[in-house]
Amino acid sequence: MKHASKLLGVVSIAALSTLGANSAHATGTVAGTTILNTVAVNYSVGGIAQTAASASNTVTVDRKVIFTLTGAATTTNVSPGQAVAVTTYQLTNASNDTLDFALSAVNQASGATTAHGGIDAYSTGAITYYVDTNGNGVYDAGTDQAITWVDELAPDASKTVFAVTSIPLSAVNTQVAGIVLTATAEAGGGTGTQGAVLTNSTGANTAGIDTVFADAAGATDSAADGKYSAKGDYTIYAPVLTVQKLSTIISDPINNTTNPKAIPGAVVEYCIVVQNATGGAPTTNLSISDPLPTQVTYLSSFGILLNGTYSGSSCNADGTANVANSSYTAPAGANPANVSGTLSNVAANSATTMRFRVTIN
Amino acid sequence: MRMISMKLLCGLAAVLVSPSLAMAAAGPVALESTIKIDKLVTENGASHHVLVQPQKVVPGNHVIFLTNYHNTSAKAVDHFVVTNPLPQAVVLESTPADGFEVSVDGGKNWGLLAALKVSSANGVARSAQAGDVTHVRWVIASIAPGASGSLEYHAVVR
Repeated sequence: MKHASKLLGVVSIAALSTLGANSAHATGTVAGTTILNTVAVNYSVGGIAQTAASASNTVTVDRKVIFTLTGAATTTNVSPGQAVAVTTYQLTNASNDTLDFALSAVNQASGATTAHGGIDAYSTGAITYYVDTNGNGVYDAGTDQAITWVDELAPDASKTVFAVTSIPLSAVNTQVAGIVLTATAEAGGGTGTQGAVLTNSTGANTAGIDTVFADAAGATDSAADGKYSAKGDYTIYAPVLTVQKLSTIISDPINNTTNPKAIPGAVVEYCIVVQNATGGAPTTNLSISDPLPTQVTYLSSFGILLNGTYSGSSCNADGTANVANSSYTAPAGANPANVSGTLSNVAANSATTMRFRVTIN
Repeated sequence: MRMISMKLLCGLAAVLVSPSLAMAAAGPVALESTIKIDKLVTENGASHHVLVQPQKVVPGNHVIFLTNYHNTSAKAVDHFVVTNPLPQAVVLESTPADGFEVSVDGGKNWGLLAALKVSSANGVARSAQAGDVTHVRWVIASIAPGASGSLEYHAVVR
């Protein structure tokens, strides 16, 4: 305040520098600034110039608290049991003062409408907060700092805050959990020190910096209460997979391919079917590992055919060999022989197969 | 305006708290500077402006700076020139009917706002805006013994 008034005094002498005052903050004059108005009067009496007279008056600019908290534009898709589920908020300080903001998130009540029109059906684990330390807008575990409040947010500045929680394993596909994050304005002033919660100065103007709440109503708070709340939600979006293993006898040494029987030397085809139900998320990194019974021997001449199709209740004779994405491991000691393959992603309401053949010992 | 008196005033202002009032009665003219808030009040469906003592002053408030003068002497005061640098934190709200001169260059050149030009960074002159005003000035030819009056300008807190 002293600094500001000195500045004003200088301006009145070398007033050209006031031209720079046009580039003020969008949020306005910083709280605590003294507006000093000085008039200087020159006059004459009886044609003789007199000593100049002057008068001045000051007023202190008060703190106008106005800020917003904005939730993510879309829901966060999560899987049951996901340990780190993140939804993103943007906190913007449009006040004319640097402020701290307390953070407090709660799960919405079951049945409540969530941020993106869902119905709250499960509760997340405990919610922790992280600030976007590296400013890339994306939560980076180990890089973005855990916080319990937002420290020293300058006028016009905004910060990205992540609400991080865990998803219970019991949640099922398409269920939604809603949360409400509330930011509460607190006095700034010291880096690393959480300021006191601000209160609206309803009484007469004081000599110091008064506080005027001008914040709008958020999701669950009122206008001009020094708080702003916004919803966020986590929607379970997981592949809904079923796996079947089908076997077909292709031939035997006696009957060949005509009604073959499962006798030693017979060739058996295994088909592993992975189906993703309607509404499920597409799979990623879908891999299959099939330990072979000791009574059979892998038929390397047939190979491993990936990404075949499935119709009705049987595998079609298709799929492609892909050496890079499949492998056979011979039995070694206690470890059985193993056939494995990595399949292409399976969209909802579709299936994929992996086929290979063995002979019965 | 002499530098010494200005410095004194600045020192004084640093101690003063808001809203405060400073009187100066050097010589035959008494001066009083006040700040009022222009509030739009709606009563019975009709809106009108009222001037109130500053309560909370926040960006966007309409503020009126008033200077009252009173010739306390027995002689006429001539060529009474009131110069008022605009505080940095406010921007002038001017109308052609204000009847005072303004300066957009720190008090070097004076005129009505519409007649002044500002040279921009690329050297092209443009018409001055209210936001460019650095000083306002009133010139009163003569104040009779015992006469008083009031001068005001309106501004918005940045």
